[in-house]
Amino acid sequence: MSLTLPEGRLRRVLLGASPWLFFVALIAVWEVGCRLFSVPAYILPAPSVILNAFFDVEFSRWMQHLWATLRVALLGFLISIAVSIPIAIAMMRSEWLSRTLYPLLVVIQSTPVVAVAPLIIVIMGSDDPSRILITCLLTFFPLVVSTATGINETPPELIELSRSLDAPTRRETWQIRMPYAIPHIFSGLRVAITLAIIGAVVAEFVAAEEGLGYFIQFSTSFFRIPQAFAGLFFLAVVSLLLFKSVQWAQQLLFPWSLPRKGA
Amino acid sequence: MAEPAVNRSFVKLAGVGHRYDPNPAIPPAVTGIDLDIHRHEFVAVVGPSGCGKSTLLRMIAGLLKPSEGRVTVFGRAVDGPRDDVGIVFQKPTLLPWLNVRKNVLFPLRHKYGRYNREDEARADALLAMAGLEAFARKMPDELSGGMQQRVGIVRALLLNPDILLMDEPFSALDAMTREQIGFDLLSLWQEQPKTVLFITHSIAEAVLLADRVLVMSRRPGTVLDLIDVDLPRPRTTHTISDARFGELTDRIRKHIYEPDAA
Repeated sequence: MSLTLPEGRLRRVLLGASPWLFFVALIAVWEVGCRLFSVPAYILPAPSVILNAFFDVEFSRWMQHLWATLRVALLGFLISIAVSIPIAIAMMRSEWLSRTLYPLLVVIQSTPVVAVAPLIIVIMGSDDPSRILITCLLTFFPLVVSTATGINETPPELIELSRSLDAPTRRETWQIRMPYAIPHIFSGLRVAITLAIIGAVVAEFVAAEEGLGYFIQFSTSFFRIPQAFAGLFFLAVVSLLLFKSVQWAQQLLFPWSLPRKGA
Repeated sequence: MAEPAVNRSFVKLAGVGHRYDPNPAIPPAVTGIDLDIHRHEFVAVVGPSGCGKSTLLRMIAGLLKPSEGRVTVFGRAVDGPRDDVGIVFQKPTLLPWLNVRKNVLFPLRHKYGRYNREDEARADALLAMAGLEAFARKMPDELSGGMQQRVGIVRALLLNPDILLMDEPFSALDAMTREQIGFDLLSLWQEQPKTVLFITHSIAEAVLLADRVLVMSRRPGTVLDLIDVDLPRPRTTHTISDARFGELTDRIRKHIYEPDAA
Protein backbone atom coordinates (compact mmCIF):
# COMPACT_ATOMS: atom_id res chain seq x y z
CA MET A 1 0.00 0.00 0.00
CA SER A 2 2.75 2.43 1.02
CA LEU A 3 4.48 1.80 -2.31
CA THR A 4 1.50 2.78 -4.43
CA LEU A 5 0.91 6.10 -2.67
CA PRO A 6 3.79 8.13 -4.11
CA GLU A 7 3.08 6.54 -7.45
CA GLY A 8 -0.52 7.72 -7.21
CA ARG A 9 0.61 11.21 -6.30
CA LEU A 10 3.12 11.28 -9.16
CA ARG A 11 0.37 10.17 -11.51
CA ARG A 12 -1.85 13.01 -10.33
CA VAL A 13 0.92 15.58 -10.73
CA LEU A 14 1.69 14.29 -14.23
CA LEU A 15 -1.98 14.35 -15.12
CA GLY A 16 -2.26 17.96 -13.97
CA ALA A 17 0.94 19.06 -15.70
CA SER A 18 0.48 17.16 -18.94
CA PRO A 19 -1.40 19.86 -20.88
CA TRP A 20 1.34 22.37 -19.97
CA LEU A 21 4.09 19.91 -20.81
CA PHE A 22 2.42 19.20 -24.13
CA PHE A 23 2.14 22.90 -24.87
CA VAL A 24 5.81 23.49 -24.02
CA ALA A 25 6.82 20.51 -26.17
CA LEU A 26 4.78 21.86 -29.08
CA ILE A 27 6.51 25.24 -28.82
CA ALA A 28 9.89 23.51 -28.60
CA VAL A 29 9.23 21.43 -31.73
CA TRP A 30 8.08 24.56 -33.52
CA GLU A 31 11.22 26.48 -32.49
CA VAL A 32 13.58 23.65 -33.38
CA GLY A 33 11.77 22.96 -36.64
CA CYS A 34 11.99 26.59 -37.74
CA ARG A 35 15.70 26.76 -36.97
CA LEU A 36 16.54 23.34 -38.40
CA PHE A 37 14.83 23.92 -41.75
CA SER A 38 15.55 27.69 -41.78
CA VAL A 39 11.88 28.54 -42.35
CA PRO A 40 11.70 32.23 -43.30
CA ALA A 41 9.96 34.42 -40.73
CA TYR A 42 7.47 35.75 -43.28
CA ILE A 43 6.12 32.20 -43.75
CA LEU A 44 6.27 30.78 -40.22
CA PRO A 45 8.19 32.73 -37.59
CA ALA A 46 9.77 30.79 -34.73
CA PRO A 47 8.24 31.32 -31.25
CA SER A 48 11.33 33.28 -30.15
CA VAL A 49 10.90 35.64 -33.11
CA ILE A 50 7.22 36.11 -32.26
CA LEU A 51 8.13 36.85 -28.63
CA ASN A 52 10.61 39.50 -29.76
CA ALA A 53 8.00 41.00 -32.07
CA PHE A 54 5.59 41.16 -29.15
CA PHE A 55 8.03 43.20 -27.07
CA ASP A 56 8.93 45.40 -30.03
CA VAL A 57 5.45 46.83 -29.91
CA GLU A 58 4.97 49.36 -27.15
CA PHE A 59 2.92 48.25 -24.16
CA SER A 60 0.63 51.28 -24.41
CA ARG A 61 -0.15 50.38 -28.03
CA TRP A 62 -1.06 46.82 -27.01
CA MET A 63 -3.36 48.24 -24.36
CA GLN A 64 -4.94 50.64 -26.84
CA HIS A 65 -5.74 47.77 -29.25
CA LEU A 66 -6.84 45.49 -26.41
CA TRP A 67 -9.22 48.10 -25.04
CA ALA A 68 -10.73 48.73 -28.49
CA THR A 69 -11.46 45.03 -29.00
CA LEU A 70 -12.49 44.36 -25.43
CA ARG A 71 -14.99 47.20 -25.17
CA VAL A 72 -16.76 46.09 -28.36
CA ALA A 73 -16.73 42.42 -27.36
CA LEU A 74 -17.90 43.02 -23.80
CA LEU A 75 -20.55 45.60 -24.65
CA GLY A 76 -21.86 43.32 -27.40
CA PHE A 77 -21.83 40.42 -24.96
CA LEU A 78 -23.71 42.36 -22.27
CA ILE A 79 -26.30 43.76 -24.67
CA SER A 80 -26.74 40.27 -26.03
CA ILE A 81 -27.47 38.95 -22.54
CA ALA A 82 -29.90 41.78 -21.87
CA VAL A 83 -31.77 41.05 -25.10
CA SER A 84 -31.68 37.27 -25.31
CA ILE A 85 -32.80 36.33 -21.79
CA PRO A 86 -36.06 38.35 -21.97
CA ILE A 87 -36.66 36.95 -25.47
CA ALA A 88 -36.18 33.41 -24.16
CA ILE A 89 -38.56 34.05 -21.26
CA ALA A 90 -41.15 35.60 -23.57
CA MET A 91 -40.84 32.66 -25.94
CA MET A 92 -41.35 30.27 -23.05
CA ARG A 93 -44.45 32.13 -21.88
CA SER A 94 -46.13 32.36 -25.28
CA GLU A 95 -46.24 29.58 -27.84
CA TRP A 96 -47.41 32.07 -30.43
CA LEU A 97 -44.33 34.25 -29.91
CA SER A 98 -42.09 31.22 -29.94
CA ARG A 99 -43.52 30.05 -33.26
CA THR A 100 -43.25 33.52 -34.73
CA LEU A 101 -39.74 34.36 -33.58
CA TYR A 102 -37.95 31.06 -33.80
CA PRO A 103 -37.73 30.90 -37.64
CA LEU A 104 -36.41 34.46 -37.69
CA LEU A 105 -33.76 33.59 -35.12
CA VAL A 106 -32.70 30.58 -37.16
CA VAL A 107 -32.44 32.75 -40.29
CA ILE A 108 -30.28 35.28 -38.43
CA GLN A 109 -28.12 32.52 -37.03
CA SER A 110 -27.62 30.71 -40.35
CA THR A 111 -26.67 33.88 -42.23
CA PRO A 112 -22.87 34.15 -42.08
CA VAL A 113 -22.15 37.27 -40.05
CA VAL A 114 -18.88 37.72 -41.95
CA ALA A 115 -20.95 38.29 -45.09
CA VAL A 116 -23.33 40.72 -43.41
CA ALA A 117 -20.65 42.70 -41.57
CA PRO A 118 -19.63 44.92 -44.54
CA LEU A 119 -23.28 45.83 -45.14
CA ILE A 120 -23.78 46.76 -41.51
CA ILE A 121 -20.68 48.96 -41.64
CA VAL A 122 -21.98 50.63 -44.82
CA ILE A 123 -25.40 51.24 -43.29
CA MET A 124 -24.36 52.22 -39.76
CA GLY A 125 -20.89 53.64 -40.29
CA SER A 126 -17.56 52.35 -39.04
CA ASP A 127 -17.92 53.25 -35.39
CA ASP A 128 -18.38 51.20 -32.25
CA PRO A 129 -22.18 50.78 -32.58
CA SER A 130 -21.94 48.84 -35.82
CA ARG A 131 -19.15 46.65 -34.43
CA ILE A 132 -21.22 46.02 -31.30
CA LEU A 133 -24.21 45.07 -33.46
CA ILE A 134 -22.09 42.54 -35.35
CA THR A 135 -20.97 41.07 -32.03
CA CYS A 136 -24.56 40.89 -30.82
CA LEU A 137 -25.73 39.11 -33.96
CA LEU A 138 -23.12 36.45 -33.38
CA THR A 139 -23.65 35.94 -29.65
CA PHE A 140 -27.33 36.21 -28.97
CA PHE A 141 -28.58 33.06 -30.68
CA PRO A 142 -26.66 30.59 -28.48
CA LEU A 143 -27.85 32.56 -25.47
CA VAL A 144 -31.52 32.43 -26.46
CA VAL A 145 -31.29 28.72 -27.21
CA SER A 146 -29.49 27.80 -24.00
CA THR A 147 -31.79 29.93 -21.84
CA ALA A 148 -34.90 28.52 -23.50
CA THR A 149 -33.56 24.97 -23.12
CA GLY A 150 -32.82 25.54 -19.45
CA ILE A 151 -36.22 27.06 -18.78
CA ASN A 152 -37.94 24.10 -20.41
CA GLU A 153 -35.79 21.64 -18.50
CA THR A 154 -37.50 22.53 -15.21
CA PRO A 155 -38.98 19.37 -13.66
CA PRO A 156 -42.74 19.31 -14.35
CA GLU A 157 -43.40 18.46 -10.69
CA LEU A 158 -42.03 21.84 -9.65
CA ILE A 159 -44.32 23.59 -12.10
CA GLU A 160 -47.18 21.61 -10.57
CA LEU A 161 -46.03 22.58 -7.11
CA SER A 162 -46.09 26.20 -8.22
CA ARG A 163 -49.53 25.80 -9.74
CA SER A 164 -50.87 24.00 -6.67
CA LEU A 165 -49.73 26.99 -4.61
CA ASP A 166 -51.50 29.29 -7.04
CA ALA A 167 -48.33 31.40 -7.20
CA PRO A 168 -48.04 34.27 -9.68
CA THR A 169 -46.33 33.40 -13.00
CA ARG A 170 -43.69 36.01 -12.26
CA ARG A 171 -42.53 34.03 -9.24
CA GLU A 172 -42.74 30.76 -11.13
CA THR A 173 -40.34 32.27 -13.66
CA TRP A 174 -37.89 33.86 -11.23
CA GLN A 175 -37.97 31.42 -8.31
CA ILE A 176 -38.15 28.15 -10.24
CA ARG A 177 -37.57 28.32 -13.97
CA MET A 178 -34.71 30.83 -14.15
CA PRO A 179 -32.57 29.22 -11.44
CA TYR A 180 -33.09 25.88 -13.16
CA ALA A 181 -31.85 27.47 -16.37
CA ILE A 182 -28.63 28.78 -14.75
CA PRO A 183 -26.36 25.86 -15.74
CA HIS A 184 -27.68 26.07 -19.31
CA ILE A 185 -27.37 29.85 -19.41
CA PHE A 186 -23.74 29.57 -18.34
CA SER A 187 -22.89 27.04 -21.00
CA GLY A 188 -24.43 29.51 -23.43
CA LEU A 189 -22.39 32.34 -21.90
CA ARG A 190 -19.17 30.38 -22.32
CA VAL A 191 -19.91 29.91 -26.02
CA ALA A 192 -21.08 33.51 -26.38
CA ILE A 193 -18.01 35.13 -24.82
CA THR A 194 -15.66 33.49 -27.31
CA LEU A 195 -18.06 34.38 -30.14
CA ALA A 196 -18.06 37.98 -28.86
CA ILE A 197 -14.31 38.19 -29.45
CA ILE A 198 -14.76 36.68 -32.91
CA GLY A 199 -17.50 39.21 -33.65
CA ALA A 200 -15.34 42.13 -32.58
CA VAL A 201 -12.40 40.91 -34.65
CA VAL A 202 -14.55 40.30 -37.74
CA ALA A 203 -15.92 43.84 -37.42
CA GLU A 204 -12.38 45.21 -37.15
CA PHE A 205 -11.35 43.28 -40.26
CA VAL A 206 -14.04 45.13 -42.19
CA ALA A 207 -13.35 48.64 -40.96
CA ALA A 208 -11.43 49.91 -37.94
CA GLU A 209 -8.50 52.08 -36.91
CA GLU A 210 -7.63 50.16 -33.77
CA GLY A 211 -8.17 46.84 -32.06
CA LEU A 212 -6.39 43.50 -32.02
CA GLY A 213 -8.16 42.30 -35.15
CA TYR A 214 -7.18 45.49 -36.94
CA PHE A 215 -3.63 45.06 -35.65
CA ILE A 216 -3.36 41.53 -37.03
CA GLN A 217 -4.76 42.53 -40.41
CA PHE A 218 -2.60 45.63 -40.60
CA SER A 219 0.54 43.67 -39.68
CA THR A 220 -0.22 40.97 -42.22
CA SER A 221 -0.77 43.44 -45.03
CA PHE A 222 2.64 44.97 -44.31
CA PHE A 223 4.23 41.49 -44.16
CA ARG A 224 5.06 41.89 -40.50
CA ILE A 225 4.21 38.24 -39.96
CA PRO A 226 5.90 37.80 -36.54
CA GLN A 227 3.97 40.84 -35.31
CA ALA A 228 0.72 39.39 -36.67
CA PHE A 229 1.44 36.14 -34.82
CA ALA A 230 2.13 38.07 -31.63
CA GLY A 231 -1.25 39.79 -31.99
CA LEU A 232 -2.90 36.44 -32.62
CA PHE A 233 -1.43 34.90 -29.47
CA PHE A 234 -2.37 37.92 -27.42
CA LEU A 235 -5.93 37.61 -28.71
CA ALA A 236 -6.03 33.89 -27.92
CA VAL A 237 -4.86 34.54 -24.35
CA VAL A 238 -7.46 37.28 -23.87
CA SER A 239 -10.21 35.04 -25.24
CA LEU A 240 -9.13 32.21 -22.96
CA LEU A 241 -9.12 34.50 -19.92
CA LEU A 242 -12.62 35.72 -20.73
CA PHE A 243 -13.82 32.14 -21.11
CA LYS A 244 -12.27 31.31 -17.73
CA SER A 245 -13.84 34.42 -16.17
CA VAL A 246 -17.29 33.16 -17.11
CA GLN A 247 -16.48 29.89 -15.35
CA TRP A 248 -15.19 31.73 -12.30
CA ALA A 249 -18.30 33.89 -12.21
CA GLN A 250 -20.44 30.75 -12.16
CA GLN A 251 -18.34 29.24 -9.38
CA LEU A 252 -18.56 32.44 -7.37
CA LEU A 253 -22.23 33.31 -7.89
CA PHE A 254 -23.93 29.93 -8.36
CA PRO A 255 -21.74 27.23 -6.81
CA TRP A 256 -24.71 24.87 -6.54
CA SER A 257 -25.12 24.88 -10.33
CA LEU A 258 -21.83 23.03 -10.81
CA PRO A 259 -21.55 19.29 -10.29
CA ARG A 260 -20.29 18.65 -6.76
CA LYS A 261 -16.66 17.52 -6.73
CA GLY A 262 -16.33 13.86 -5.73
CA ALA A 263 -15.74 13.49 -1.98
CA MET B 1 -63.76 12.82 17.79
CA ALA B 2 -67.24 14.27 18.17
CA GLU B 3 -67.90 15.81 14.78
CA PRO B 4 -69.67 12.95 13.03
CA ALA B 5 -71.59 15.13 10.58
CA VAL B 6 -68.38 16.57 9.15
CA ASN B 7 -66.40 13.41 9.56
CA ARG B 8 -68.57 11.35 7.35
CA SER B 9 -67.32 12.79 4.14
CA PHE B 10 -64.53 15.27 3.89
CA VAL B 11 -63.41 14.70 0.33
CA LYS B 12 -66.21 13.44 -1.89
CA LEU B 13 -65.82 12.12 -5.42
CA ALA B 14 -69.10 11.55 -7.24
CA GLY B 15 -68.88 9.81 -10.61
CA VAL B 16 -65.55 11.48 -11.30
CA GLY B 17 -63.72 10.83 -14.53
CA HIS B 18 -61.22 12.45 -16.83
CA ARG B 19 -60.31 12.04 -20.47
CA TYR B 20 -57.20 13.63 -21.93
CA ASP B 21 -58.24 12.92 -25.52
CA PRO B 22 -61.60 14.27 -26.70
CA ASN B 23 -61.82 11.45 -29.28
CA PRO B 24 -64.59 9.16 -27.91
CA ALA B 25 -62.92 6.09 -29.45
CA ILE B 26 -60.09 6.44 -26.95
CA PRO B 27 -61.12 5.36 -23.44
CA PRO B 28 -60.89 8.00 -20.69
CA ALA B 29 -58.03 7.80 -18.21
CA VAL B 30 -60.40 7.50 -15.26
CA THR B 31 -64.16 7.08 -15.16
CA GLY B 32 -67.01 6.75 -12.70
CA ILE B 33 -65.06 7.02 -9.46
CA ASP B 34 -67.18 7.29 -6.32
CA LEU B 35 -65.31 7.78 -3.11
CA ASP B 36 -65.92 9.36 0.27
CA ILE B 37 -62.84 10.11 2.29
CA HIS B 38 -63.42 10.88 5.95
CA ARG B 39 -61.69 13.59 7.81
CA HIS B 40 -58.24 12.48 9.00
CA GLU B 41 -58.57 9.22 7.16
CA PHE B 42 -55.63 7.56 5.42
CA VAL B 43 -56.71 6.20 2.04
CA ALA B 44 -54.28 4.39 -0.23
CA VAL B 45 -54.85 3.92 -3.95
CA VAL B 46 -53.31 0.93 -5.73
CA GLY B 47 -53.63 -0.19 -9.32
CA PRO B 48 -51.60 -1.14 -12.37
CA SER B 49 -49.41 1.45 -14.09
CA GLY B 50 -51.34 3.91 -16.19
CA CYS B 51 -54.65 3.30 -14.44
CA GLY B 52 -55.11 6.97 -13.74
CA LYS B 53 -54.10 7.07 -10.08
CA SER B 54 -52.18 10.29 -10.57
CA THR B 55 -55.01 11.76 -12.63
CA LEU B 56 -57.30 11.15 -9.67
CA LEU B 57 -54.87 12.88 -7.33
CA ARG B 58 -54.53 15.88 -9.65
CA MET B 59 -58.30 16.29 -9.80
CA ILE B 60 -58.53 16.36 -6.02
CA ALA B 61 -55.66 18.88 -5.92
CA GLY B 62 -57.56 21.08 -8.35
CA LEU B 63 -54.74 20.88 -10.89
CA LEU B 64 -56.97 19.07 -13.36
CA LYS B 65 -60.65 19.59 -14.06
CA PRO B 66 -62.73 16.40 -14.09
CA SER B 67 -64.46 15.91 -17.44
CA GLU B 68 -67.28 14.03 -15.69
CA GLY B 69 -68.62 14.03 -12.14
CA ARG B 70 -67.74 16.32 -9.26
CA VAL B 71 -65.05 16.61 -6.63
CA THR B 72 -66.07 18.38 -3.44
CA VAL B 73 -63.96 19.12 -0.41
CA PHE B 74 -65.80 20.01 2.77
CA GLY B 75 -68.98 20.36 0.73
CA ARG B 76 -67.49 22.84 -1.72
CA ALA B 77 -66.72 22.02 -5.35
CA VAL B 78 -63.04 21.99 -6.29
CA ASP B 79 -62.52 24.38 -9.18
CA GLY B 80 -58.85 25.26 -8.95
CA PRO B 81 -55.71 24.87 -6.84
CA ARG B 82 -56.53 24.99 -3.13
CA ASP B 83 -54.31 26.17 -0.34
CA ASP B 84 -55.44 23.49 2.11
CA VAL B 85 -53.74 20.79 0.06
CA GLY B 86 -50.13 19.64 0.39
CA ILE B 87 -48.62 17.54 -2.37
CA VAL B 88 -45.70 15.11 -2.13
CA PHE B 89 -44.38 13.95 -5.48
CA GLN B 90 -42.66 10.79 -6.58
CA LYS B 91 -39.34 12.60 -6.76
CA PRO B 92 -38.48 14.91 -3.83
CA THR B 93 -38.23 17.86 -6.28
CA LEU B 94 -36.25 20.01 -3.88
CA LEU B 95 -34.70 23.16 -5.29
CA PRO B 96 -30.95 22.48 -5.57
CA TRP B 97 -29.97 26.09 -4.82
CA LEU B 98 -31.74 26.26 -1.45
CA ASN B 99 -30.74 24.52 1.75
CA VAL B 100 -33.13 22.14 3.49
CA ARG B 101 -34.71 24.81 5.70
CA LYS B 102 -35.22 27.23 2.82
CA ASN B 103 -36.67 24.42 0.73
CA VAL B 104 -39.19 23.74 3.47
CA LEU B 105 -40.09 27.43 3.61
CA PHE B 106 -40.22 27.71 -0.18
CA PRO B 107 -44.03 27.28 -0.55
CA LEU B 108 -44.55 30.42 1.56
CA ARG B 109 -41.94 32.45 -0.28
CA HIS B 110 -43.37 31.24 -3.56
CA LYS B 111 -47.01 31.87 -2.73
CA TYR B 112 -46.76 35.12 -0.76
CA GLY B 113 -43.24 36.34 -1.55
CA ARG B 114 -42.17 36.31 2.10
CA TYR B 115 -42.32 34.50 5.44
CA ASN B 116 -41.93 35.61 9.04
CA ARG B 117 -40.32 34.41 12.27
CA GLU B 118 -43.32 32.29 13.18
CA ASP B 119 -43.15 30.48 9.86
CA GLU B 120 -39.47 29.82 10.43
CA ALA B 121 -40.19 28.45 13.90
CA ARG B 122 -42.86 26.22 12.40
CA ALA B 123 -40.47 24.95 9.74
CA ASP B 124 -37.89 24.18 12.43
CA ALA B 125 -40.48 22.35 14.53
CA LEU B 126 -41.56 20.26 11.55
CA LEU B 127 -37.95 19.47 10.67
CA ALA B 128 -37.33 18.39 14.26
CA MET B 129 -40.44 16.21 14.18
CA ALA B 130 -39.13 14.49 11.07
CA GLY B 131 -35.70 14.05 12.69
CA LEU B 132 -34.09 16.44 10.23
CA GLU B 133 -32.98 19.30 12.50
CA ALA B 134 -29.31 18.40 12.05
CA PHE B 135 -29.71 18.73 8.28
CA ALA B 136 -31.46 22.09 8.17
CA ARG B 137 -28.43 23.90 6.70
CA LYS B 138 -27.42 21.13 4.30
CA MET B 139 -27.95 21.39 0.58
CA PRO B 140 -30.30 18.82 -0.98
CA ASP B 141 -27.54 16.99 -2.85
CA GLU B 142 -25.78 16.31 0.45
CA LEU B 143 -28.77 14.19 1.55
CA SER B 144 -29.70 10.61 0.74
CA GLY B 145 -32.82 9.92 -1.33
CA GLY B 146 -34.81 8.96 1.77
CA MET B 147 -33.78 12.15 3.58
CA GLN B 148 -34.69 14.26 0.55
CA GLN B 149 -38.15 12.73 0.45
CA ARG B 150 -38.59 13.44 4.16
CA VAL B 151 -37.83 17.07 3.39
CA GLY B 152 -40.42 16.87 0.61
CA ILE B 153 -43.01 15.66 3.13
CA VAL B 154 -42.10 18.38 5.64
CA ARG B 155 -42.42 20.98 2.85
CA ALA B 156 -45.91 19.69 2.04
CA LEU B 157 -46.87 20.05 5.71
CA LEU B 158 -45.62 23.64 6.07
CA LEU B 159 -48.88 25.35 5.17
CA ASN B 160 -50.63 23.00 7.61
CA PRO B 161 -52.91 21.56 4.93
CA ASP B 162 -56.04 19.59 5.78
CA ILE B 163 -55.35 17.23 2.93
CA LEU B 164 -52.07 15.56 2.09
CA LEU B 165 -51.86 14.13 -1.41
CA MET B 166 -48.96 11.75 -1.98
CA ASP B 167 -48.14 10.53 -5.48
CA GLU B 168 -46.03 7.37 -5.14
CA PRO B 169 -43.78 9.23 -2.73
CA PHE B 170 -41.55 6.30 -1.79
CA SER B 171 -41.24 4.49 -5.11
CA ALA B 172 -37.74 5.80 -5.81
CA LEU B 173 -36.39 4.56 -2.47
CA ASP B 174 -34.79 1.24 -1.58
CA ALA B 175 -36.93 -1.31 0.28
CA MET B 176 -35.49 -0.74 3.75
CA THR B 177 -35.60 3.04 3.62
CA ARG B 178 -39.07 2.76 2.23
CA GLU B 179 -40.40 0.75 5.16
CA GLN B 180 -38.79 3.06 7.72
CA ILE B 181 -40.05 6.25 6.08
CA GLY B 182 -43.53 4.68 5.94
CA PHE B 183 -43.55 4.20 9.69
CA ASP B 184 -42.19 7.71 10.17
CA LEU B 185 -45.01 9.06 8.02
CA LEU B 186 -47.52 7.22 10.22
CA SER B 187 -46.11 8.75 13.40
CA LEU B 188 -46.15 12.22 11.81
CA TRP B 189 -49.75 11.60 10.76
CA GLN B 190 -50.64 10.49 14.30
CA GLU B 191 -49.16 13.70 15.73
CA GLN B 192 -50.66 15.98 13.09
CA PRO B 193 -53.78 14.25 11.81
CA LYS B 194 -54.45 14.90 8.14
CA THR B 195 -56.69 13.49 5.48
CA VAL B 196 -54.25 11.51 3.36
CA LEU B 197 -54.59 10.17 -0.16
CA PHE B 198 -51.59 7.97 -0.78
CA ILE B 199 -50.90 6.56 -4.23
CA THR B 200 -48.61 3.57 -4.44
CA HIS B 201 -47.56 0.63 -6.58
CA SER B 202 -46.90 -1.48 -3.53
CA ILE B 203 -49.81 -3.53 -2.23
CA ALA B 204 -48.02 -4.28 1.05
CA GLU B 205 -47.29 -0.58 1.59
CA ALA B 206 -50.94 0.33 0.97
CA VAL B 207 -52.21 -2.20 3.51
CA LEU B 208 -49.52 -1.36 6.03
CA LEU B 209 -50.26 2.37 6.06
CA ALA B 210 -53.90 2.93 5.16
CA ASP B 211 -57.31 2.80 6.80
CA ARG B 212 -58.85 1.92 3.47
CA VAL B 213 -57.39 0.81 0.16
CA LEU B 214 -58.95 1.75 -3.16
CA VAL B 215 -58.10 -0.79 -5.84
CA MET B 216 -58.29 0.55 -9.37
CA SER B 217 -58.59 -1.30 -12.65
CA ARG B 218 -56.58 -1.01 -15.81
CA ARG B 219 -57.36 1.87 -18.16
CA PRO B 220 -60.00 3.21 -18.10
CA GLY B 221 -59.46 3.42 -14.36
CA THR B 222 -62.50 2.42 -12.32
CA VAL B 223 -62.95 1.28 -8.73
CA LEU B 224 -62.51 -2.49 -8.46
CA ASP B 225 -62.72 -2.67 -4.70
CA LEU B 226 -62.59 -0.54 -1.60
CA ILE B 227 -61.10 -2.47 1.26
CA ASP B 228 -61.33 -1.66 4.95
CA VAL B 229 -58.00 -2.36 6.56
CA ASP B 230 -59.05 -3.53 10.00
CA LEU B 231 -55.52 -3.91 11.33
CA PRO B 232 -54.87 -2.33 14.74
CA ARG B 233 -52.86 0.87 15.07
CA PRO B 234 -50.15 1.78 15.69
CA ARG B 235 -48.87 -0.32 12.84
CA THR B 236 -45.40 -1.76 13.35
CA THR B 237 -43.17 -4.36 11.73
CA HIS B 238 -45.31 -6.91 13.62
CA THR B 239 -48.30 -5.86 11.54
CA ILE B 240 -46.65 -7.43 8.52
CA SER B 241 -46.54 -10.86 10.16
CA ASP B 242 -50.23 -10.62 11.15
CA ALA B 243 -52.33 -13.24 9.32
CA ARG B 244 -54.92 -10.60 8.48
CA PHE B 245 -52.24 -8.55 6.70
CA GLY B 246 -51.63 -11.54 4.42
CA GLU B 247 -55.34 -11.99 3.73
CA LEU B 248 -55.81 -8.36 2.81
CA THR B 249 -52.80 -8.19 0.51
CA ASP B 250 -53.94 -11.44 -1.15
CA ARG B 251 -57.37 -10.00 -1.76
CA ILE B 252 -55.85 -6.96 -3.51
CA ARG B 253 -53.38 -9.07 -5.42
CA LYS B 254 -56.22 -11.15 -6.84
CA HIS B 255 -57.86 -7.99 -8.17
CA ILE B 256 -54.68 -6.89 -9.86
CA TYR B 257 -53.53 -10.19 -11.32
CA GLU B 258 -56.85 -11.91 -12.10
CA PRO B 259 -59.30 -9.05 -12.53
CA ASP B 260 -61.95 -11.34 -14.06
CA ALA B 261 -61.86 -13.96 -11.32
CA ALA B 262 -62.33 -11.38 -8.57
